[in-house]
Amino acid sequence: MTQASDLPDATSHRLEELEHGLFTSDLSVNEFLLVKHAGFHPVGFVMGSSIYHIGIQARRWGKSQELNKLTEAMYNARELAMTRMEEEADELGADGVVGVRLDVNYYEWGRDAAEFIAMGTAVKAEDGTSYRNSLGKPFTSDLSGQDFWTLMQTGHRPQALVMGTCVFHIAHRGLAQTLGTVGQNVELPNFTQALYEARELAMTRMQDEANRLGATGIVGVRLEEKSHQWGSHTIEFLALGTGVTKGTGEASLPVPTTIISLDH
Amino acid sequence: MTLAGPGSDLPEAAGQRLGTGAWSSGLSVADFAACGPMGLRPVALVQGFCAMQWGWYAAGPGLTRGGWGGPGGAGGGGGGPGPAPYAAATESRGYNESWPCPHGIASLEHRWGSNYEQPWVESAWSQGFGSAYRRMVEEAEQAGAHGIIDVVDDASYMTEQSVVEFHVTGTAVAVEDHEGQAPLWSTYLAGQRLAKLFEAGMAPVSVAAGLSSVMMWPNCQTEYLLGGGGGSMWVGPYQDEITQVTNAETAARRLVRAAVSAQLGPDILHGARFSVSRRAAGGGGHVIECTLRGTRVRHFKDFDPLPPPTPTVRLS
Repeated sequence: MTQASDLPDATSHRLEELEHGLFTSDLSVNEFLLVKHAGFHPVGFVMGSSIYHIGIQARRWGKSQELNKLTEAMYNARELAMTRMEEEADELGADGVVGVRLDVNYYEWGRDAAEFIAMGTAVKAEDGTSYRNSLGKPFTSDLSGQDFWTLMQTGHRPQALVMGTCVFHIAHRGLAQTLGTVGQNVELPNFTQALYEARELAMTRMQDEANRLGATGIVGVRLEEKSHQWGSHTIEFLALGTGVTKGTGEASLPVPTTIISLDH
Repeated sequence: MTLAGPGSDLPEAAGQRLGTGAWSSGLSVADFAACGPMGLRPVALVQGFCAMQWGWYAAGPGLTRGGWGGPGGAGGGGGGPGPAPYAAATESRGYNESWPCPHGIASLEHRWGSNYEQPWVESAWSQGFGSAYRRMVEEAEQAGAHGIIDVVDDASYMTEQSVVEFHVTGTAVAVEDHEGQAPLWSTYLAGQRLAKLFEAGMAPVSVAAGLSSVMMWPNCQTEYLLGGGGGSMWVGPYQDEITQVTNAETAARRLVRAAVSAQLGPDILHGARFSVSRRAAGGGGHVIECTLRGTRVRHFKDFDPLPPPTPTVRLS
């Protein structure tokens, strides 16, 4: 299975069952209530997976640089998983997927392989309005049910979970550099610059994705950093957030009220 | 790294990112939703970093630990250890206490101790935090923002154990219908907590933060008590205050409060948060580091009384 569109047979069978009215979801009861209140109905728990062989790329001990091949691999693998999840949602006729989680798992039987998994709950608007994104695909979002409701109340709607990644090798310090700073508490510009640039690249790519979708903004951006299995000087910087656009409806946020909780 | 422009130390990628169409924000949806009613518009997620070489905790007067030097009595602070060899060129607020052996016996088990401030550590922290914060503010200015909300700062070891990275992030916001030049403000607050601050008639000016570092080399009595030793004719009763530790802990808090107070001017510190970390420094020494963070706020209007609260019972 190398193409995004190749879903296993078991998937089609499971999705067919869901089309008969039964739905599955990983929403909590409160999230379910709020998704319903926002005018959506869960139609099924959807997921996409890709097991990707992550190769190696030569890096220079004393040079800070982006490792393009590794960046590309991490990007492609997540895109494949996301696309398969979107396809499952598409088969269910969903308008979008909420509560998307992106995980990376490693298994003992494949040292250089990693499984990228995307999962979430597909939802459909109850009034028949299409909430698909500008590409005609179901929207995706990592927002919880509560956050989804709140976002809809502000007059915004999610477009897609957008991400940017950058695998960066941070140069080691040479002997001269190390000796030159012995006994001092000083800034290490080579480290600062490398980390700074890597994060900015990841965030720029995330924003580029949002721009391509016509999103006007990104909420809930988070920056994750992980060395995976590459050693401490090679780090993946992943920027993630939900791209949003302003809808046509007016914001209808309730006026905040001060409360006294009567709970213990 | 190519820089964003002349006079800037931001990477070129930052300049490109801040010039693109879609805005980004690290705000939660609830905090984002609260921006509109306050007249704030998210502009960009902004960030600043600084990697610092970080070491030499035990350097300085502690190198004489275990010796018999250190004139001056406990609490006197007079004639204690001299200036540290790695001290930064900043003015120390100067906490320094010697703790002589109370028994007056010369042996390996009986020794003097000392508590002292480590201005070189405080200075390094200020430099790391300050550089990261300044870069974040520069990003916000490039994005045309008026303020930064939801500031989060952290310091963590990276790649090598002697390197600490300071990172400061926040969401740059523009004030709707605001024209004219005003200094960029920043705050740790966001969402309803920020809205309530405005309702209370206070406006954020900037985040304020500081760190104090106190080294404690225990004298023989303190070391014995810290080791769980019981009472004896040498150390006194079983239950007693370990004064040297109390003094070191108190000094760390007092010093950081003084450091942050010096940043406030006529303003008030809102939402102050102390965090204390303690670490063994080897040879029986202990480092006590105290961080104080908060938002410097200024009164701008009279307090708007909040509506009376509504009693609620949570059903979940």
